[in-house]
Amino acid sequence: MTIPQTTLSSPEHRPHISRRALLKGSAAAVLAVGAAALPSAHDAAGEQPVPDTSSGPLRKGKVIDCHAHLTHRSRATWEADDCKLIEAADKLGIDQLCCSTLTPLRPATADGFRACNRWTADGMRRFHGRVLGYCYVNPGYSPEALEEIRRCVEEREFIGIKLYNEYTCTEPVVFPVVELAIELGVPILHHASHSHYFVEDQPRMSDGGHLAELARRYPEAMLICAHISGGGDWEWTIKALRHATNVLLDTSGSVTDEGTVDMAAAVVGVDRLVFGCDSSMTAGVGKIRGANLSTQDKQKILGGNMMRLLGRRKS
Amino acid sequence: MIVDVNAYLGHFAFRRLRHNTAAALLALMDAKKIDRAVVSSAGAITYRNAQTGNEDVAQEVRGHRDRLIPFAVINPFYAGWQDDLKICHEEFGITGLRLYPKWHNYQLSSPCCRELVNAATERGMVISIPIRVEDNRQRSWLLNIPDVPLEEIVGLVKTHQEARFILLNGIGYTGCPLGRKDNGLPPNYAIGLSRLSAVLANELGQLITNLGAGRVMFGTGMPFNYPDPALVKLEVLDASESDKERIRSQNATAWLRL
Repeated sequence: MTIPQTTLSSPEHRPHISRRALLKGSAAAVLAVGAAALPSAHDAAGEQPVPDTSSGPLRKGKVIDCHAHLTHRSRATWEADDCKLIEAADKLGIDQLCCSTLTPLRPATADGFRACNRWTADGMRRFHGRVLGYCYVNPGYSPEALEEIRRCVEEREFIGIKLYNEYTCTEPVVFPVVELAIELGVPILHHASHSHYFVEDQPRMSDGGHLAELARRYPEAMLICAHISGGGDWEWTIKALRHATNVLLDTSGSVTDEGTVDMAAAVVGVDRLVFGCDSSMTAGVGKIRGANLSTQDKQKILGGNMMRLLGRRKS
Repeated sequence: MIVDVNAYLGHFAFRRLRHNTAAALLALMDAKKIDRAVVSSAGAITYRNAQTGNEDVAQEVRGHRDRLIPFAVINPFYAGWQDDLKICHEEFGITGLRLYPKWHNYQLSSPCCRELVNAATERGMVISIPIRVEDNRQRSWLLNIPDVPLEEIVGLVKTHQEARFILLNGIGYTGCPLGRKDNGLPPNYAIGLSRLSAVLANELGQLITNLGAGRVMFGTGMPFNYPDPALVKLEVLDASESDKERIRSQNATAWLRL
């Protein structure tokens, strides 16, 4: 199927939210189009810090959503849905989205994940420069998965690998995928959640503890723990990953609990946080804006850290 | 002006909240340019005797009534709730309620709850209902509190046509009669935007189309939530400036008679 190139991916897109507003934690843009003015800082009576509103020159940097999805084409509205994703990114000042396409039902078959990756590759063409591709595989189909990863990274310019919940990440069947990711120098975004109950429909769910264990086994791997704000007890997850220095934490998810990003920054450091939305777009942007971090730290989270990760690619 | 109909003070049993004193919340509001906020006790969500949480809030907002509007948490299955309601209204000057039917383990359709809603309505009080307190996936091992089913809200608004309800922390209204156009329901409820999408599915925009901008109110859920996501929704919402102004403040101002 040939999909016409959309006009939505213009590099000249004008976001409703300026980078300055996004970085500053400012509500000024609510009140003034363009958000040129920043509110003055207020002291929090010495009780709690208020979000950073300090002024100063901004360094230009990309805003990269590290966790996004294109729509599976079994859904009739997939093309419009994909366009809506780009429109939302435009409005929110997100420059690039790291996307995978997932099968509606899992575990994915080899044919299923190959089709998904073809569509992701097509999305990279349709939204050139805006959509970056993750290669989604089910590690249970080992030869097919490894072949698919190599094809996607080396021939289709995918930027990484997406693993879902077919296997817990500490199961040996996952190891060849991790070893190939290391060889290629690409990150793995791994679905994860930690709830204090058994999640019946995801019996092989990974959590931060599993990812920390995998990271210890493969210290050269670049792992991203998906959606700390949509993966159950985020305080547990952050603490579980404190010492796993080669695991980055993706801030995406629909949960907007105050303090999430701040605690993650305090416990694992801002260099290990990557901005994401996972389709919860205003939640994703709002959390970063609301975090009590410096502009420089927010720039790292919003794109700098992901750029650094993608710069380690070996091919 | 921005009026937040969804804010809290005090401690929550399962997670440390920041910005949860009057002074700290006001500082956060200043930083976010939020002028006024409706606050209730976070502690009263899990206290057996919720009235002690109301007493704390009444004390905390003293001297800040120009900006912090206290609501009372009342459990209609707890002894003395009629006295508590009277004290909250007449002594504390509280003009609205927050109800937690799932956390306090009662049905919205139960006679006790109906009695409470009628009593509050006779006093001219607004009744807000948080559909959830926090995401259920992160719940403590001690409990499993479901969201309030929107179908139960449908029954409530039908039964109490004279009452006024503000629904908070909900989502999926367009998938049930509450969010549909010409739904036959009385226009006695408004919907807080804290969890509504403003892009992609854009439930916020759909609700404005279906119900009118007069039925949506700004609310953040702070300090449980970062206030910024709610602010961002208003920024990116495709709506007229007059509609946005109604959502930001005018609807709440009218309903709460501020």
